[in-house]
Amino acid sequence: MSETLEVDVLIVGGGPAGLSAALRLSQLQKTHGGEPLSIAVLEKARDAGAHTLSGAVLDISALRELIPDYEAKGVPFATPVHRDQVYFLSKRSKIRFPIVPPPLRNHGHFIVSVNALVRWLSEQVEKEGVDIFTGFAGRDVLLDGGRVVGVRTGDRGVAKDGTKKAEFEPGVEILAKVTIFCDGVRGNLTKELVRKLELSVDREPEQYAVGLKELWEIPQGRIEPGTVIHTLGYPLLQDQFGGGFIYAMPQGRISLGFVVGLDYHDPLFDPHMAFNRFKQHPFVSDLLKDGSLIRYGAKALPEGGWNTIPRTYMDGGLIAGDAGGFLNSMRLKGIHLAMRTGMLAAEAAFEAVRQGDTSAASLKRYQDKIDASPVRAEMYPVRNVHQAFGYGLFAGLAFAGLTVATGGRWLQDLHGRAGHERMKMLSWHYGVEVPASRTSNATTIDRKLTFDKLTNVHYSGTAHDEDQPSHLLVQTDVCTSICGPEYGHPCVRFCPANVYEIIREPGQPVRLQINASNCVHCKTCDIMDPYQVITWVPPEGGDGPQYNGM
Amino acid sequence: MILVVAEQRDGTLNRATLETIAAAQKLAGDAPVKAAVLGQSAGAVAQDLATAVSEVLLVENPALGTYTPDAFTVAVQQIVAAVKPVYVLLPHTYQTRDFAPMVAVRVGASLITDVVGINGTGSSATFVRPMFQGKLSAEVRPQGEGPRCVTIQIGAFRADAVKRGTAAPVNPLAVEIDPSTIRQKAEAPFKEAKQAVDLGQAERIVAVGRGIKSQENIAIAEKLAGAMSAEIAASRPICDNGWLPMDRQIGSSGQTVAPKLYVALGISGAIQHLVGMKGARTIVAINKDADAPIFEVADYGIVGDLFDIVPALVSELEKS
Repeated sequence: MSETLEVDVLIVGGGPAGLSAALRLSQLQKTHGGEPLSIAVLEKARDAGAHTLSGAVLDISALRELIPDYEAKGVPFATPVHRDQVYFLSKRSKIRFPIVPPPLRNHGHFIVSVNALVRWLSEQVEKEGVDIFTGFAGRDVLLDGGRVVGVRTGDRGVAKDGTKKAEFEPGVEILAKVTIFCDGVRGNLTKELVRKLELSVDREPEQYAVGLKELWEIPQGRIEPGTVIHTLGYPLLQDQFGGGFIYAMPQGRISLGFVVGLDYHDPLFDPHMAFNRFKQHPFVSDLLKDGSLIRYGAKALPEGGWNTIPRTYMDGGLIAGDAGGFLNSMRLKGIHLAMRTGMLAAEAAFEAVRQGDTSAASLKRYQDKIDASPVRAEMYPVRNVHQAFGYGLFAGLAFAGLTVATGGRWLQDLHGRAGHERMKMLSWHYGVEVPASRTSNATTIDRKLTFDKLTNVHYSGTAHDEDQPSHLLVQTDVCTSICGPEYGHPCVRFCPANVYEIIREPGQPVRLQINASNCVHCKTCDIMDPYQVITWVPPEGGDGPQYNGM
Repeated sequence: MILVVAEQRDGTLNRATLETIAAAQKLAGDAPVKAAVLGQSAGAVAQDLATAVSEVLLVENPALGTYTPDAFTVAVQQIVAAVKPVYVLLPHTYQTRDFAPMVAVRVGASLITDVVGINGTGSSATFVRPMFQGKLSAEVRPQGEGPRCVTIQIGAFRADAVKRGTAAPVNPLAVEIDPSTIRQKAEAPFKEAKQAVDLGQAERIVAVGRGIKSQENIAIAEKLAGAMSAEIAASRPICDNGWLPMDRQIGSSGQTVAPKLYVALGISGAIQHLVGMKGARTIVAINKDADAPIFEVADYGIVGDLFDIVPALVSELEKS
């Protein structure tokens, strides 16, 4: 028998969206008075911000509205952006774009650690007396017919074989009048909701990318703090979506990363190797020379844009932030949209609870608020840009340019395909000469500039109790029977944390070993697996990466 | 004056106490180091420590017979009030982690935990503690008045580095503990059905990695462990396969050990494993791959097939 907790509004996920929602709710309560609403925030990380990962350059528009005196309250901006540079990389050289395309102009924005920002936001929320339950993951959505009535948190203390350990604690059922789902990109609860309540039936398939990021310390004076660099081209091919970023912060700290569209064709391609190759480009390796790696992380990004966002409201539920796909892939920004959708969801939930009607018809006001807000104004015109990159880099760039020029006034919308469907079988991609399973873009690993995945994982600080059931549910019969021959086990390569390993031992059948404790919660496997047989569910609450300073 | 709070159970000293005394001697410079032994009848342990410190305070009380955080907190609080040390040093054990924060709050002390190094002596000393899972080290300085509490990571200082002298006096020190203020009631200690191993106390460890190839071959490593009276341990893949129990796993998701001798058989030396054993005094690695990272930390490395080398080692050990 699990315990039950009843609240007015439950927020699942303590990231920028969830915490902005919590803060907005307590602000509304203050302004409107009356019987105070009970609010709870669930966060699977042990500390707020430990699982949040981003570049990041912050557009402060939403923050300015949420916390006008953010400076007085000590917001932890790293540095204002002073200059933008965009480069096209070839294997050995670089070409600087003569002008910085308008969507990539970041003047007036700030380089931040989203981990520090979220920690700071959580302090602001806790000052308002809202409880953030860190270390508790939402495991299942509680549905009453088509109505969301709350969330069940995961059990703790279950052994690897499924038995209860001495410290077993069953999950808690949290019942709420409105549940706001802010469980991030490819959130496990939002995924369940979208499927069960058919929230995506008339939408374009969601598109994703995976971002790999490292924090470095380099000798000071090499690059001016506040410099924001974006790159296109090498090491990606013309038909691959993605690029690199380098953000310079004070004291020689560098945030650098590489984003790869999760819609590449080559099953032997490895995004982590692409990141290594990016670092080996003289432009980057000169910058990092004699520096040292501080932290590593990876996270998927919802790139699909406006037409891929599922229905955001339902009976008793709302979806905000990355969980809903609120990210502007042309500006490479989503934190401000997460914050703003969180705020709007809070307003909708507050009004609905006060009116005593939290049905879908009443909560539709959330979508109306989004439509009337800067979220739509920003996202609607660029709704086709990511889909255009499906036709290749140059088509995408041309389309992006036209979008800027015309404000996105197209007669017909472009259609995309789910990224995992675009992966080609070995025999299609390589012809009859199917190569033995290997990585097509492998490069040298020196553990100074370039790293193997296992070493990188160490720098993510990820930790999971080993004695628990795997939180990656895989139909492993598919692996050896069809996935191996057809795709050469792509999970081994697309996972940036060495979770998946194919073990070949003499005299033994080939088998998949799941190193679940390496997982950095990026969700790439749940997205990119060609057979969609991997389901990511939260491990025991509190487990996962430790993205301090990321 | 520096006070070391010794840890003993039923008359057996926890080895980490000696490491803490070694740390105290480094921190003290010329100043005296005293040790407090808490328990119900702990005279023998107190005598053991007499040659290592300038005075042993034997703190005996029926309420200290079995550990409870409330009784130990009250006792240490009274000891600190009586002897007024500049520093209180404790070994960073599970027991210390349980009650040291309470002691620090009660005596108004700053608390620096898990210290791996000490720079300087006396009140101007700074302390080194790990951050980012040991990737970075922070040098910290305690602030404020009053005693400073410091806990010493196991394996960071060497027990055999303790300077011994003539036996110092063992003086009883009475503490008053009102049994009604103890909120915890300890049950008799028990071992879980599966016997938990504390590899942290082992002086010699033979650890196996993926190079052992199959579960049957674990016996080869166990034979070597038997011949050198070592504990058997493993890297993650071995325990993940269930070839050895999980409590034998060394590394970031297992135990951290600092034995005198660590023999790594077929372990490549991923950083996750290294963080769990790099504190070992002498590391011997046997691996087929000469480029394996384990050789970067090994004191003695043998590039070769463990299935040839280990039996040879066993037969040599059995000869002697």
